Amino acid sequence: MKDIILSIEGVSKSYTGHTALDDVSLEIPRGAVYGLLGPNGAGKTTLIRVINRITLADKGRVLLEGKPMTESDVFHIGYMPEERGLYKKMRVGAQALFFARLKGLDKREAEQRLHSWFERLGIADWWGRKVEDLSKGMAQKVQFISTVVHEPKLLIFDEPFSGFDPINANALKNEILGLRDRGATVIFSTHNMASVEEICDHITLINKSRNILSGSVEEIRRAAGGNTFEVIHRADDSTLSAALGSFATTLGASEGIVGGYTRTKIHIPNDNDIREVIARLNDSCSMRSLQEMMPSMNDIFIRAVNGTL
Amino acid sequence: MKKIQLIIAREFGERARKKSFIITTLLMPILMIGLMIAPSLMMLMDTAEQKQVVVIDRSGVVGDKLQSGGEVLFSVQNDLSKAEACSIYGEDSGIFGILYIGSEVEHRDSVQLITNSSSSMMLEENIASQISAIVEAEKLKAYNIDNLDQILASVATNIELSTFENNGTGEVETMESTSSGINYILGMLLGMLLYMIIIIYGQMVLTSVVEEKSSRVIDVMVTSCTPFQIMMGKILGIALVAVTQIAIWAVLVIGASKFLIPALFSPEVAATNDMMMQALMGTLGNTSYIAGLFGYLLLFILGGFLLYASLYAAAGSAVDSVQDGQQFNTIIMMPIILALIVMMSVFNDPNSSVAFWFSIIPFTSPIVMIARIPFGIPTWEVVVSLVLLYATFLFVAWFAAKIYRIGIFMHGKRPSWRELWQWTKMK
Repeated sequence: MKDIILSIEGVSKSYTGHTALDDVSLEIPRGAVYGLLGPNGAGKTTLIRVINRITLADKGRVLLEGKPMTESDVFHIGYMPEERGLYKKMRVGAQALFFARLKGLDKREAEQRLHSWFERLGIADWWGRKVEDLSKGMAQKVQFISTVVHEPKLLIFDEPFSGFDPINANALKNEILGLRDRGATVIFSTHNMASVEEICDHITLINKSRNILSGSVEEIRRAAGGNTFEVIHRADDSTLSAALGSFATTLGASEGIVGGYTRTKIHIPNDNDIREVIARLNDSCSMRSLQEMMPSMNDIFIRAVNGTL
Repeated sequence: MKKIQLIIAREFGERARKKSFIITTLLMPILMIGLMIAPSLMMLMDTAEQKQVVVIDRSGVVGDKLQSGGEVLFSVQNDLSKAEACSIYGEDSGIFGILYIGSEVEHRDSVQLITNSSSSMMLEENIASQISAIVEAEKLKAYNIDNLDQILASVATNIELSTFENNGTGEVETMESTSSGINYILGMLLGMLLYMIIIIYGQMVLTSVVEEKSSRVIDVMVTSCTPFQIMMGKILGIALVAVTQIAIWAVLVIGASKFLIPALFSPEVAATNDMMMQALMGTLGNTSYIAGLFGYLLLFILGGFLLYASLYAAAGSAVDSVQDGQQFNTIIMMPIILALIVMMSVFNDPNSSVAFWFSIIPFTSPIVMIARIPFGIPTWEVVVSLVLLYATFLFVAWFAAKIYRIGIFMHGKRPSWRELWQWTKMK
């Protein structure tokens, strides 16, 4: 049985006039980096707020480690909202210290941890500055540190990468993975699909208040890919068709690439036939490579939202 | 509990360390003294311009005896008719106006002041009293009494009333001397101070709640503590700033009362016969009395602030911007303004039933009661007022928290009264 840290069971929430969440269920495995995807206004933030108990669900329940979540469980969560929640007039260090101590760290411990985090993210010089003097990316680093400093078992980031340049986004990504490796479970909402492919192992896709797709990234991509492969070879079309026989069919036209090679998409309906196809292509088509084609998360996202998956 | 302490410490630390706090705390006493002295200074300096008044006297008695001086300069021109004078000394003539005195001075409308610009109460009183005195003197003269001036001088009398608070012994030396004049000034000062503190610090609560809400700091905070802790921490933290400010003033004033007043004023004041001055110095030099007043002030400021701050916190939680909060602000301010109006009437009769009830009803009690206290109020009234005030605070805070915990997460349209009411009933 999988070790589930957080399960959401049939959660519904409606505000006057519209439904934000409609019977959403999902399970988040311990140690996962879990992406909540969906178009703007789909209900991601509402779901996060339900998990945080900022908003209470109309129906359904949220279980933390199998037990219904209570007010005090919220303290095991580190939450970074999309709009950055920092006091503008306060000094950076004092502010980080305040949040850390609110989370229950004592003053010395908090100071130690914060200083090492500030060093790590290269913002140690900013300890005494006011938040309003920080750039958006800087403020976000401070926010990130405040979120993780007490090492909660569940971390929730709402759009963590917005506002970061590629270098800092990468640094942040590595920090998030590092936290996962040290035992934290990470949930984040995003519509940046590239980041999903790079760091998420599980996702849930929410559209129009409903959970329309859930599972591990591998499985989802494989399922959406539907046994499609890309062959690079030197044969002409008729030779290729003869070689594939009844085991596989070509998809669309072949495409010439450098060095006299040709690229062709093929479909192999039966997994057991893959070896046979490889042998045949090797023999008669001077095959250079055969690669399973994984649709990008971006494609899956768009197809799922449009209902063509 | 530790979390509330952290929040209080943050609210207090961030505000009390600000330059603006330190400056206002130190400048405020100077400003207050300035405000008290400024009107009399202005009156002293406001003697520059003399007003020329042309006098046409048909009685033959008054005109020549009018004394110029102060702000008015009379010139008698009996050869002119009223109509001529009015046309010659019009607006461009530089003359302030024409005083026409009919032949029968005491008849209605007989004495007329026709001016080119609006006249002042002081000028009118000056003219009327001069004419009355002249006519009175003329009438007395008709009795043919010898040495009239001496007789008048010897019968002139001026009584000064010394007032004391009854302590049951009948020995005046042991009683507190009181003075309505001083009580009036003290009551006014204390009431205004309380009014300002509640308004300024109350709105600070509103602004700060709105800021936390709109910057989403609150979203982060609630993963560490409950909305009630956040609200109470904020209110108590800001209350602590207000109390600190008053305490600093108390120390300054008590220090002055103990050391400065005796050193500066006692020899001179003892030598003068000015009762008001003596009473003022007596009161200000009575250190334990001053300290007691500050004690009451702190209790009422704290209670009044906590009560109103709870309302301000609820209002702040319900809106997205300080501008949106303006409507709630206006409503919250109404009882405070009412208290200020009632306070003014307190000075006429500190023991009237209006004064009594408004100093017991919690929303107006801090301001009205603190203005009554210098006049000497039975202790039980003060105690009842304080107990009701703090009890009401607890109730209002409990109610405000119900709005607050929902309001801080609601964004967008400002809620209607009905929605606010529904929030209070939400689980």
